[in-house]
Amino acid sequence: MKNYLKPLPIITDDNRQYWEYCKKHELRMQKCQNCGYIRFPPSLLCPQCHSMDAEWEKLSGQGKIYSFVIYRISYHPSYADDIPYTVAIIHLTEGPRMESNITDCKVEDIRIDMPVEVYFNDVTDEVSLPKFKPVS
Amino acid sequence: MESLKDKAAIVGVGYTPQGKVPGRTSLSFHLEAARNAILDAGLKIQDIDGLLIQPTMGDPSVTAALVAQYLGARVRFLATLDTFGASAGCQAQFAAMAVAHGLANYVVCTYGENARSGVSEYGTALNGGIEYGLFGAAAGYAMAARRAMHEFGTGPETWKEIAIAQRRWANLNPQAIMYTRSMTYQDYYESRIIVEPFRLFDICQISDSGRAFIVTTAERARDLKKRPVYIMGMGQDHPATNPQQATFLTGPTGAKLSGEQALKMAGLTLKDIDACEIYDCFTYTVEIELMDYGFYGRGEGKDFLKAERLGPGGDLPLNTSGGLLSEAYQMGFTPLTEAVVQLRGEAGDRQLGAPTSTREPEIILVSNNGGVMQTHSTLILRK
Repeated sequence: MKNYLKPLPIITDDNRQYWEYCKKHELRMQKCQNCGYIRFPPSLLCPQCHSMDAEWEKLSGQGKIYSFVIYRISYHPSYADDIPYTVAIIHLTEGPRMESNITDCKVEDIRIDMPVEVYFNDVTDEVSLPKFKPVS
Repeated sequence: MESLKDKAAIVGVGYTPQGKVPGRTSLSFHLEAARNAILDAGLKIQDIDGLLIQPTMGDPSVTAALVAQYLGARVRFLATLDTFGASAGCQAQFAAMAVAHGLANYVVCTYGENARSGVSEYGTALNGGIEYGLFGAAAGYAMAARRAMHEFGTGPETWKEIAIAQRRWANLNPQAIMYTRSMTYQDYYESRIIVEPFRLFDICQISDSGRAFIVTTAERARDLKKRPVYIMGMGQDHPATNPQQATFLTGPTGAKLSGEQALKMAGLTLKDIDACEIYDCFTYTVEIELMDYGFYGRGEGKDFLKAERLGPGGDLPLNTSGGLLSEAYQMGFTPLTEAVVQLRGEAGDRQLGAPTSTREPEIILVSNNGGVMQTHSTLILRK
Protein backbone atom coordinates (compact mmCIF):
# COMPACT_ATOMS: atom_id res chain seq x y z
CA MET A 1 0.00 0.00 0.00
CA LYS A 2 2.87 2.35 0.76
CA ASN A 3 4.44 2.19 -2.67
CA TYR A 4 1.47 2.43 -4.95
CA LEU A 5 2.87 4.11 -8.07
CA LYS A 6 -0.05 3.85 -10.47
CA PRO A 7 -2.13 6.92 -11.33
CA LEU A 8 -4.87 7.59 -8.79
CA PRO A 9 -8.36 8.83 -9.57
CA ILE A 10 -8.68 12.57 -10.05
CA ILE A 11 -10.94 13.54 -7.19
CA THR A 12 -13.11 16.60 -7.73
CA ASP A 13 -15.96 18.26 -5.90
CA ASP A 14 -18.32 16.35 -8.21
CA ASN A 15 -17.00 12.85 -7.50
CA ARG A 16 -15.57 13.12 -3.97
CA GLN A 17 -18.61 11.46 -2.39
CA TYR A 18 -18.36 8.48 -4.76
CA TRP A 19 -14.77 7.86 -3.69
CA GLU A 20 -15.64 8.33 0.00
CA TYR A 21 -18.15 5.48 -0.32
CA CYS A 22 -15.57 3.36 -2.14
CA LYS A 23 -13.25 3.88 0.81
CA LYS A 24 -16.00 2.30 2.93
CA HIS A 25 -16.23 -0.52 0.36
CA GLU A 26 -19.64 0.57 -0.83
CA LEU A 27 -20.48 1.01 -4.49
CA ARG A 28 -22.94 3.89 -4.60
CA MET A 29 -24.07 6.05 -7.49
CA GLN A 30 -26.44 8.99 -7.68
CA LYS A 31 -30.05 7.99 -8.29
CA CYS A 32 -32.29 10.75 -9.59
CA GLN A 33 -35.14 11.30 -7.18
CA ASN A 34 -37.32 12.64 -9.98
CA CYS A 35 -36.99 10.04 -12.76
CA GLY A 36 -35.06 7.22 -11.11
CA TYR A 37 -32.13 7.26 -13.56
CA ILE A 38 -28.83 6.22 -11.99
CA ARG A 39 -26.07 8.40 -13.41
CA PHE A 40 -22.35 7.84 -13.68
CA PRO A 41 -19.85 9.53 -13.62
CA PRO A 42 -21.13 11.64 -10.71
CA SER A 43 -22.56 15.01 -11.65
CA LEU A 44 -24.62 17.97 -10.48
CA LEU A 45 -27.70 17.02 -12.42
CA CYS A 46 -29.54 14.18 -14.07
CA PRO A 47 -28.72 14.05 -17.80
CA GLN A 48 -32.19 12.59 -18.45
CA CYS A 49 -34.46 15.10 -16.65
CA HIS A 50 -32.15 17.79 -15.21
CA SER A 51 -33.37 17.27 -11.67
CA MET A 52 -30.66 18.10 -9.15
CA ASP A 53 -32.31 15.97 -6.49
CA ALA A 54 -30.35 12.73 -6.07
CA GLU A 55 -29.59 10.11 -3.45
CA TRP A 56 -26.49 7.92 -3.30
CA GLU A 57 -28.05 4.54 -4.06
CA LYS A 58 -26.20 1.48 -2.80
CA LEU A 59 -25.67 -0.93 -5.69
CA SER A 60 -25.37 -4.70 -5.59
CA GLY A 61 -21.98 -4.69 -7.27
CA GLN A 62 -23.22 -7.42 -9.61
CA GLY A 63 -23.05 -7.05 -13.35
CA LYS A 64 -21.99 -8.40 -16.72
CA ILE A 65 -19.11 -7.46 -18.96
CA TYR A 66 -20.36 -5.16 -21.76
CA SER A 67 -17.01 -4.91 -23.52
CA PHE A 68 -13.32 -5.07 -22.68
CA VAL A 69 -9.83 -4.42 -23.96
CA ILE A 70 -6.56 -6.14 -23.18
CA TYR A 71 -3.41 -4.05 -22.93
CA ARG A 72 -0.54 -5.90 -24.60
CA ILE A 73 1.88 -2.98 -24.29
CA SER A 74 2.37 -0.62 -21.38
CA TYR A 75 1.33 3.02 -21.74
CA HIS A 76 2.69 3.89 -18.30
CA PRO A 77 5.78 2.59 -16.46
CA SER A 78 3.72 1.67 -13.40
CA TYR A 79 1.74 -0.83 -15.50
CA ALA A 80 4.75 -2.49 -17.13
CA ASP A 81 4.61 -5.52 -14.84
CA ASP A 82 0.84 -5.90 -15.28
CA ILE A 83 0.85 -6.62 -19.02
CA PRO A 84 -1.43 -8.16 -20.15
CA TYR A 85 -4.23 -6.52 -18.17
CA THR A 86 -7.86 -5.83 -18.89
CA VAL A 87 -10.06 -2.78 -18.68
CA ALA A 88 -13.74 -3.53 -19.12
CA ILE A 89 -17.06 -1.76 -19.19
CA ILE A 90 -19.27 -3.51 -16.65
CA HIS A 91 -23.03 -3.32 -17.10
CA LEU A 92 -24.33 -3.24 -13.54
CA THR A 93 -27.55 -5.03 -12.66
CA GLU A 94 -29.18 -1.73 -11.66
CA GLY A 95 -28.57 -0.23 -15.13
CA PRO A 96 -25.51 2.01 -15.20
CA ARG A 97 -22.20 0.95 -16.66
CA MET A 98 -18.74 1.63 -15.31
CA GLU A 99 -15.15 1.03 -16.29
CA SER A 100 -12.87 -1.05 -14.15
CA ASN A 101 -10.41 -3.92 -14.23
CA ILE A 102 -11.32 -7.59 -14.34
CA THR A 103 -9.02 -9.60 -12.10
CA ASP A 104 -8.81 -13.13 -10.71
CA CYS A 105 -9.17 -14.47 -14.23
CA LYS A 106 -6.83 -15.06 -17.18
CA VAL A 107 -7.29 -12.40 -19.85
CA GLU A 108 -7.87 -15.19 -22.39
CA ASP A 109 -10.91 -16.34 -20.43
CA ILE A 110 -12.71 -13.00 -20.36
CA ARG A 111 -15.90 -12.86 -22.42
CA ILE A 112 -18.64 -10.35 -23.12
CA ASP A 113 -21.69 -11.06 -20.91
CA MET A 114 -19.55 -12.83 -18.30
CA PRO A 115 -21.09 -12.28 -14.83
CA VAL A 116 -18.79 -10.35 -12.51
CA GLU A 117 -18.96 -8.87 -9.02
CA VAL A 118 -17.28 -5.94 -7.35
CA TYR A 119 -14.58 -6.01 -4.70
CA PHE A 120 -12.52 -3.15 -3.31
CA ASN A 121 -8.79 -2.79 -3.57
CA ASP A 122 -7.34 -0.46 -0.90
CA VAL A 123 -4.48 0.98 -2.93
CA THR A 124 -3.62 3.84 -0.55
CA ASP A 125 -4.83 4.99 2.84
CA GLU A 126 -7.18 7.36 1.05
CA VAL A 127 -8.27 5.47 -2.08
CA SER A 128 -10.06 2.17 -2.60
CA LEU A 129 -10.68 1.15 -6.19
CA PRO A 130 -13.77 -0.86 -7.11
CA LYS A 131 -12.59 -3.81 -9.19
CA PHE A 132 -14.41 -6.81 -10.58
CA LYS A 133 -13.83 -10.54 -10.64
CA PRO A 134 -15.83 -13.40 -12.12
CA VAL A 135 -18.75 -14.53 -10.00
CA SER A 136 -17.52 -17.62 -8.21
CA MET B 1 -34.71 30.40 -44.39
CA GLU B 2 -32.36 30.06 -47.31
CA SER B 3 -30.31 26.87 -47.46
CA LEU B 4 -26.52 26.98 -47.22
CA LYS B 5 -26.29 24.53 -50.11
CA ASP B 6 -23.58 25.64 -52.55
CA LYS B 7 -23.25 29.02 -50.85
CA ALA B 8 -19.65 28.48 -49.77
CA ALA B 9 -16.60 26.87 -51.26
CA ILE B 10 -13.19 25.63 -50.20
CA VAL B 11 -10.61 27.51 -52.24
CA GLY B 12 -7.26 26.73 -50.72
CA VAL B 13 -5.53 23.89 -48.93
CA GLY B 14 -2.20 24.03 -47.12
CA TYR B 15 0.13 21.19 -46.24
CA THR B 16 3.45 21.02 -44.39
CA PRO B 17 6.18 18.40 -44.16
CA GLN B 18 4.72 15.48 -42.21
CA GLY B 19 5.68 12.35 -40.37
CA LYS B 20 8.69 12.70 -38.11
CA VAL B 21 9.65 16.37 -38.31
CA PRO B 22 11.56 17.09 -35.10
CA GLY B 23 12.62 20.47 -33.77
CA ARG B 24 9.42 22.34 -34.47
CA THR B 25 6.63 23.76 -32.34
CA SER B 26 2.98 22.97 -32.91
CA LEU B 27 2.40 26.68 -33.55
CA SER B 28 4.88 26.60 -36.43
CA PHE B 29 2.82 23.90 -38.16
CA HIS B 30 -0.37 25.97 -37.85
CA LEU B 31 1.48 28.91 -39.40
CA GLU B 32 3.06 27.03 -42.28
CA ALA B 33 -0.18 25.28 -43.16
CA ALA B 34 -2.10 28.58 -43.12
CA ARG B 35 0.57 30.28 -45.23
CA ASN B 36 0.47 27.51 -47.81
CA ALA B 37 -3.33 27.52 -47.98
CA ILE B 38 -3.28 31.28 -48.59
CA LEU B 39 -0.70 30.84 -51.37
CA ASP B 40 -2.69 27.96 -52.84
CA ALA B 41 -5.80 30.14 -53.05
CA GLY B 42 -3.85 33.00 -54.62
CA LEU B 43 -4.69 35.28 -51.71
CA LYS B 44 -2.64 37.54 -49.46
CA ILE B 45 -2.72 37.68 -45.68
CA GLN B 46 -4.43 41.09 -46.01
CA ASP B 47 -7.40 39.33 -47.65
CA ILE B 48 -7.93 37.00 -44.69
CA ASP B 49 -10.58 38.32 -42.33
CA GLY B 50 -11.60 35.12 -40.53
CA LEU B 51 -9.61 32.50 -38.62
CA LEU B 52 -10.68 29.30 -36.91
CA ILE B 53 -8.19 26.99 -35.31
CA GLN B 54 -8.51 23.60 -33.72
CA PRO B 55 -6.49 23.70 -30.50
CA THR B 56 -3.39 21.55 -30.50
CA MET B 57 -3.55 18.33 -28.50
CA GLY B 58 -0.69 18.64 -26.05
CA ASP B 59 -0.21 22.41 -26.29
CA PRO B 60 -3.16 24.45 -25.03
CA SER B 61 -1.13 27.65 -25.40
CA VAL B 62 -1.87 27.59 -29.14
CA THR B 63 -5.03 29.66 -29.39
CA ALA B 64 -6.77 31.34 -32.32
CA ALA B 65 -5.55 34.74 -31.13
CA LEU B 66 -1.97 33.47 -30.98
CA VAL B 67 -2.13 32.04 -34.49
CA ALA B 68 -3.64 35.32 -35.75
CA GLN B 69 -0.86 37.22 -34.02
CA TYR B 70 1.93 35.22 -35.64
CA LEU B 71 0.25 35.15 -39.04
CA GLY B 72 0.04 38.93 -38.93
CA ALA B 73 -3.68 38.66 -39.54
CA ARG B 74 -6.29 41.26 -38.69
CA VAL B 75 -9.59 39.35 -38.65
CA ARG B 76 -13.21 40.10 -37.79
CA PHE B 77 -14.20 36.47 -37.19
CA LEU B 78 -12.05 34.44 -34.80
CA ALA B 79 -12.43 31.33 -32.66
CA THR B 80 -10.61 28.37 -31.21
CA LEU B 81 -13.12 25.74 -32.21
CA ASP B 82 -12.85 22.28 -30.76
CA THR B 83 -15.08 19.30 -31.33
CA PHE B 84 -12.06 16.96 -31.20
CA GLY B 85 -11.67 14.95 -34.40
CA ALA B 86 -14.85 16.46 -35.84
CA SER B 87 -13.42 19.98 -35.74
CA ALA B 88 -12.36 20.37 -39.38
CA GLY B 89 -15.85 19.57 -40.66
CA CYS B 90 -17.39 21.80 -37.99
CA GLN B 91 -15.02 24.64 -38.84
CA ALA B 92 -16.00 24.39 -42.50
CA GLN B 93 -19.63 24.69 -41.45
CA PHE B 94 -19.13 27.69 -39.18
CA ALA B 95 -16.94 29.31 -41.82
CA ALA B 96 -19.62 28.70 -44.47
CA MET B 97 -22.23 30.36 -42.26
CA ALA B 98 -19.91 33.31 -41.62
CA VAL B 99 -19.13 33.99 -45.27
CA ALA B 100 -22.73 33.41 -46.37
CA HIS B 101 -23.84 36.11 -43.95
CA GLY B 102 -21.05 38.56 -44.62
CA LEU B 103 -19.32 38.15 -41.26
CA ALA B 104 -16.10 37.37 -43.11
CA ASN B 105 -14.96 36.99 -46.71
CA TYR B 106 -12.10 34.51 -46.41
CA VAL B 107 -11.86 32.22 -43.38
CA VAL B 108 -8.66 30.26 -42.76
CA CYS B 109 -9.10 27.04 -40.75
CA THR B 110 -5.99 25.39 -39.30
CA TYR B 111 -4.58 22.55 -37.26
CA GLY B 112 -1.00 21.74 -36.29
CA GLU B 113 0.84 19.56 -33.83
CA ASN B 114 4.27 18.09 -33.10
CA ALA B 115 2.82 15.03 -31.39
CA ARG B 116 5.24 12.55 -32.98
CA SER B 117 8.46 14.23 -31.84
CA GLY B 118 7.19 16.59 -29.16
CA VAL B 119 4.48 16.36 -26.55
CA SER B 120 1.74 13.85 -27.26
CA GLU B 121 -1.48 13.63 -25.30
CA TYR B 122 -2.79 10.62 -27.20
CA GLY B 123 -1.59 8.21 -24.52
CA THR B 124 -3.61 9.80 -21.72
CA ALA B 125 -7.16 9.10 -20.61
CA LEU B 126 -9.64 10.95 -22.82
CA ASN B 127 -12.72 10.20 -20.77
CA GLY B 128 -11.33 9.26 -17.38
CA GLY B 129 -10.42 5.79 -16.18
CA ILE B 130 -6.75 6.50 -15.58
CA GLU B 131 -7.04 4.79 -12.18
CA TYR B 132 -7.75 1.51 -13.98
CA GLY B 133 -4.90 1.95 -16.45
CA LEU B 134 -7.28 3.04 -19.20
CA PHE B 135 -4.73 5.01 -21.20
CA GLY B 136 -4.89 6.17 -24.77
CA ALA B 137 -7.41 6.98 -27.47
CA ALA B 138 -6.94 3.51 -28.95
CA ALA B 139 -8.46 1.80 -25.90
CA GLY B 140 -11.73 3.74 -26.15
CA TYR B 141 -12.24 2.64 -29.73
CA ALA B 142 -10.93 -0.86 -29.02
CA MET B 143 -13.69 -1.15 -26.42
CA ALA B 144 -16.25 -0.25 -29.10
CA ALA B 145 -14.59 -2.58 -31.61
CA ARG B 146 -14.71 -5.51 -29.19
CA ARG B 147 -18.43 -4.95 -28.74
CA ALA B 148 -18.83 -4.90 -32.54
CA MET B 149 -17.05 -8.27 -32.78
CA HIS B 150 -19.70 -9.58 -30.39
CA GLU B 151 -22.69 -7.98 -32.13
CA PHE B 152 -21.65 -8.07 -35.80
CA GLY B 153 -19.17 -10.89 -36.05
CA THR B 154 -16.61 -8.54 -37.53
CA GLY B 155 -13.07 -8.18 -36.24
CA PRO B 156 -9.53 -8.32 -37.61
CA GLU B 157 -10.70 -10.26 -40.70
CA THR B 158 -12.84 -7.26 -41.65
CA TRP B 159 -10.53 -4.52 -40.40
CA LYS B 160 -7.54 -5.81 -42.35
CA GLU B 161 -9.45 -5.04 -45.56
CA ILE B 162 -9.73 -1.39 -44.54
CA ALA B 163 -6.07 -1.16 -43.51
CA ILE B 164 -4.88 -2.74 -46.74
CA ALA B 165 -7.15 -0.73 -49.04
CA GLN B 166 -5.89 2.47 -47.48
CA ARG B 167 -2.28 1.34 -47.65
CA ARG B 168 -2.74 0.77 -51.39
CA TRP B 169 -3.86 4.39 -51.72
CA ALA B 170 -0.93 5.59 -49.57
CA ASN B 171 1.45 3.72 -51.86
CA LEU B 172 0.27 6.12 -54.60
CA ASN B 173 0.71 9.24 -52.45
CA PRO B 174 4.26 10.61 -52.05
CA GLN B 175 3.10 12.74 -49.09
CA ALA B 176 1.92 9.69 -47.15
CA ILE B 177 4.05 8.49 -44.25
CA MET B 178 3.57 4.94 -45.57
CA TYR B 179 4.20 5.80 -49.25
CA THR B 180 7.07 3.35 -49.68
CA ARG B 181 5.75 0.61 -47.41
CA SER B 182 3.30 -1.90 -48.81
CA MET B 183 1.13 -4.09 -46.58
CA THR B 184 0.11 -7.70 -47.10
CA TYR B 185 -2.50 -9.61 -45.15
CA GLN B 186 0.35 -11.34 -43.38
CA ASP B 187 1.92 -7.99 -42.48
CA TYR B 188 -1.37 -6.94 -40.96
CA TYR B 189 -1.75 -10.06 -38.86
CA GLU B 190 1.89 -9.95 -37.79
CA SER B 191 1.76 -6.34 -36.65
CA ARG B 192 2.13 -6.03 -32.91
CA ILE B 193 -0.99 -6.15 -30.77
CA ILE B 194 -1.25 -2.89 -28.85
CA VAL B 195 -4.55 -2.95 -27.05
CA GLU B 196 -6.70 -5.91 -27.97
CA PRO B 197 -8.50 -6.19 -30.29
CA PHE B 198 -6.34 -3.57 -32.08
CA ARG B 199 -3.03 -4.22 -33.73
CA LEU B 200 -0.55 -1.54 -34.71
CA PHE B 201 -2.00 -1.48 -38.23
CA ASP B 202 -5.48 -0.73 -36.90
CA ILE B 203 -4.14 2.53 -35.48
CA CYS B 204 -3.49 5.88 -37.18
CA GLN B 205 -0.13 7.55 -37.86
CA ILE B 206 0.58 10.29 -35.34
CA SER B 207 2.46 12.99 -37.22
CA ASP B 208 4.36 16.23 -36.80
CA SER B 209 2.52 18.44 -39.26
CA GLY B 210 -0.11 21.04 -39.95
CA ARG B 211 -3.02 21.33 -42.34
CA ALA B 212 -5.24 24.22 -43.33
CA PHE B 213 -8.02 25.17 -45.70
CA ILE B 214 -9.83 28.36 -46.69
CA VAL B 215 -13.56 28.95 -47.05
CA THR B 216 -15.16 31.78 -48.99
CA THR B 217 -18.44 32.50 -50.77
CA ALA B 218 -19.23 30.59 -53.94
CA GLU B 219 -19.22 33.91 -55.79
CA ARG B 220 -15.76 34.96 -54.63
CA ALA B 221 -14.47 31.44 -55.16
CA ARG B 222 -15.01 31.67 -58.91
CA ASP B 223 -12.49 34.54 -59.18
CA LEU B 224 -9.65 32.75 -57.41
CA LYS B 225 -6.69 30.76 -58.67
CA LYS B 226 -7.92 27.21 -58.10
CA ARG B 227 -11.08 25.40 -59.08
CA PRO B 228 -13.58 25.88 -56.23
CA VAL B 229 -14.87 22.92 -54.28
CA TYR B 230 -18.42 23.69 -53.21
CA ILE B 231 -19.99 22.71 -49.91
CA MET B 232 -23.29 21.13 -50.99
CA GLY B 233 -24.41 19.75 -47.67
CA MET B 234 -23.44 19.76 -44.03
CA GLY B 235 -24.49 18.25 -40.75
CA GLN B 236 -23.38 17.68 -37.19
CA ASP B 237 -24.54 15.31 -34.48
CA HIS B 238 -22.80 15.01 -31.16
CA PRO B 239 -23.92 12.08 -28.99
CA ALA B 240 -21.51 13.40 -26.31
CA THR B 241 -22.25 10.72 -23.69
CA ASN B 242 -19.34 9.32 -21.70
CA PRO B 243 -18.30 6.07 -23.43
CA GLN B 244 -19.14 4.02 -20.33
CA GLN B 245 -22.82 4.82 -20.76
CA ALA B 246 -22.76 5.22 -24.53
CA THR B 247 -25.37 3.39 -26.52
CA PHE B 248 -23.58 4.25 -29.77
CA LEU B 249 -20.36 2.23 -29.55
CA THR B 250 -21.88 -0.07 -32.16
CA GLY B 251 -24.05 2.65 -33.67
CA PRO B 252 -25.95 4.65 -34.47
CA THR B 253 -23.12 7.16 -34.11
CA GLY B 254 -23.38 10.80 -35.13
CA ALA B 255 -22.79 9.69 -38.71
CA LYS B 256 -26.43 8.71 -39.07
CA LEU B 257 -28.16 12.00 -38.28
CA SER B 258 -25.41 14.29 -39.54
CA GLY B 259 -25.22 12.27 -42.76
CA GLU B 260 -28.97 12.36 -43.32
CA GLN B 261 -29.01 16.12 -42.79
CA ALA B 262 -26.06 16.70 -45.11
CA LEU B 263 -27.50 14.54 -47.90
CA LYS B 264 -30.89 16.19 -47.55
CA MET B 265 -29.37 19.64 -47.82
CA ALA B 266 -27.39 18.53 -50.87
CA GLY B 267 -30.51 16.92 -52.40
CA LEU B 268 -28.59 13.69 -52.92
CA THR B 269 -28.62 10.03 -51.95
CA LEU B 270 -25.72 7.70 -51.20
CA LYS B 271 -25.78 6.54 -54.83
CA ASP B 272 -24.46 9.97 -55.82
CA ILE B 273 -21.35 9.65 -53.65
CA ASP B 274 -18.27 8.89 -55.75
CA ALA B 275 -15.83 8.43 -52.88
CA CYS B 276 -15.66 8.66 -49.09
CA GLU B 277 -13.06 10.40 -46.98
CA ILE B 278 -13.85 9.00 -43.53
CA TYR B 279 -12.07 9.91 -40.30
CA ASP B 280 -10.24 6.66 -39.71
CA CYS B 281 -8.48 7.07 -36.39
CA PHE B 282 -8.83 3.29 -36.17
CA THR B 283 -9.94 0.70 -38.70
CA TYR B 284 -13.13 -0.02 -36.77
CA THR B 285 -14.16 3.62 -37.06
CA VAL B 286 -14.54 3.15 -40.81
CA GLU B 287 -16.68 0.04 -40.32
CA ILE B 288 -19.12 1.77 -37.98
CA GLU B 289 -19.26 5.11 -39.82
CA LEU B 290 -19.89 3.63 -43.27
CA MET B 291 -22.59 1.46 -41.69
CA ASP B 292 -24.25 4.44 -40.04
CA TYR B 293 -24.17 6.47 -43.26
CA GLY B 294 -26.19 3.60 -44.71
CA PHE B 295 -23.78 1.96 -47.14
CA TYR B 296 -24.72 -1.40 -45.58
CA GLY B 297 -26.95 -2.71 -42.83
CA ARG B 298 -26.12 -3.64 -39.27
CA GLY B 299 -23.63 -6.46 -39.21
CA GLU B 300 -23.13 -6.51 -42.99
CA GLY B 301 -19.69 -4.93 -42.83
CA LYS B 302 -17.89 -8.23 -43.04
CA ASP B 303 -19.36 -8.85 -46.49
CA PHE B 304 -19.20 -5.28 -47.76
CA LEU B 305 -15.76 -4.18 -46.63
CA LYS B 306 -13.26 -5.61 -49.08
CA ALA B 307 -9.92 -4.10 -50.08
CA GLU B 308 -10.81 -4.48 -53.77
CA ARG B 309 -13.93 -2.35 -53.29
CA LEU B 310 -12.32 0.35 -51.12
CA GLY B 311 -8.88 0.57 -52.72
CA PRO B 312 -7.68 1.79 -56.13
CA GLY B 313 -9.95 0.40 -58.85
CA GLY B 314 -12.79 -0.16 -56.41
CA ASP B 315 -16.41 0.94 -56.67
CA LEU B 316 -16.37 2.79 -53.32
CA PRO B 317 -12.97 4.46 -53.03
CA LEU B 318 -12.13 5.12 -49.38
CA ASN B 319 -9.58 7.45 -47.81
CA THR B 320 -7.70 7.99 -51.04
CA SER B 321 -4.66 9.69 -49.50
CA GLY B 322 -4.04 6.68 -47.28
CA GLY B 323 -6.08 8.42 -44.58
CA LEU B 324 -5.17 8.74 -40.95
CA LEU B 325 -4.03 5.12 -40.96
CA SER B 326 -1.46 5.40 -43.74
CA GLU B 327 -1.09 9.05 -44.80
CA ALA B 328 -0.88 11.14 -41.60
CA TYR B 329 -3.02 11.94 -38.60
CA GLN B 330 -4.09 15.54 -38.92
CA MET B 331 -7.42 15.26 -37.18
CA GLY B 332 -10.38 15.79 -39.54
CA PHE B 333 -8.22 17.92 -41.80
CA THR B 334 -6.73 14.83 -43.47
CA PRO B 335 -10.01 13.59 -44.99
CA LEU B 336 -11.27 17.10 -45.74
CA THR B 337 -8.21 18.34 -47.63
CA GLU B 338 -7.93 15.07 -49.55
CA ALA B 339 -11.48 15.49 -50.84
CA VAL B 340 -10.58 18.96 -52.08
CA VAL B 341 -7.43 17.77 -53.82
CA GLN B 342 -9.35 14.94 -55.51
CA LEU B 343 -12.22 17.16 -56.67
CA ARG B 344 -9.71 19.59 -58.17
CA GLY B 345 -8.04 16.77 -60.08
CA GLU B 346 -4.67 17.41 -58.43
CA ALA B 347 -4.15 14.03 -56.78
CA GLY B 348 -1.44 12.70 -59.12
CA ASP B 349 -1.04 8.93 -59.18
CA ARG B 350 -3.90 8.44 -56.75
CA GLN B 351 -6.31 10.66 -58.71
CA LEU B 352 -9.84 9.28 -58.79
CA GLY B 353 -11.20 8.66 -62.27
CA ALA B 354 -9.26 7.13 -65.15
CA PRO B 355 -5.82 7.12 -63.45
CA THR B 356 -7.05 4.69 -60.79
CA SER B 357 -9.89 3.02 -62.73
CA THR B 358 -12.52 4.53 -60.45
CA ARG B 359 -15.57 6.73 -60.93
CA GLU B 360 -14.86 10.26 -62.07
CA PRO B 361 -15.14 12.21 -58.80
CA GLU B 362 -17.97 14.72 -58.79
CA ILE B 363 -19.16 14.37 -55.21
CA ILE B 364 -17.24 13.24 -52.12
CA LEU B 365 -18.54 12.59 -48.61
CA VAL B 366 -16.26 13.85 -45.82
CA SER B 367 -16.81 12.40 -42.36
CA ASN B 368 -15.19 13.51 -39.11
CA ASN B 369 -15.69 12.11 -35.63
CA GLY B 370 -14.09 12.86 -32.30
CA GLY B 371 -13.78 11.73 -28.72
CA VAL B 372 -14.90 8.13 -28.69
CA MET B 373 -17.47 8.84 -31.41
CA GLN B 374 -18.88 11.53 -29.11
CA THR B 375 -18.77 14.23 -31.79
CA HIS B 376 -19.50 14.09 -35.50
CA SER B 377 -19.57 16.28 -38.60
CA THR B 378 -20.38 15.51 -42.22
CA LEU B 379 -19.74 17.49 -45.40
CA ILE B 380 -20.85 16.79 -48.94
CA LEU B 381 -18.38 18.41 -51.34
CA ARG B 382 -18.62 18.76 -55.12
CA LYS B 383 -16.67 20.10 -58.04
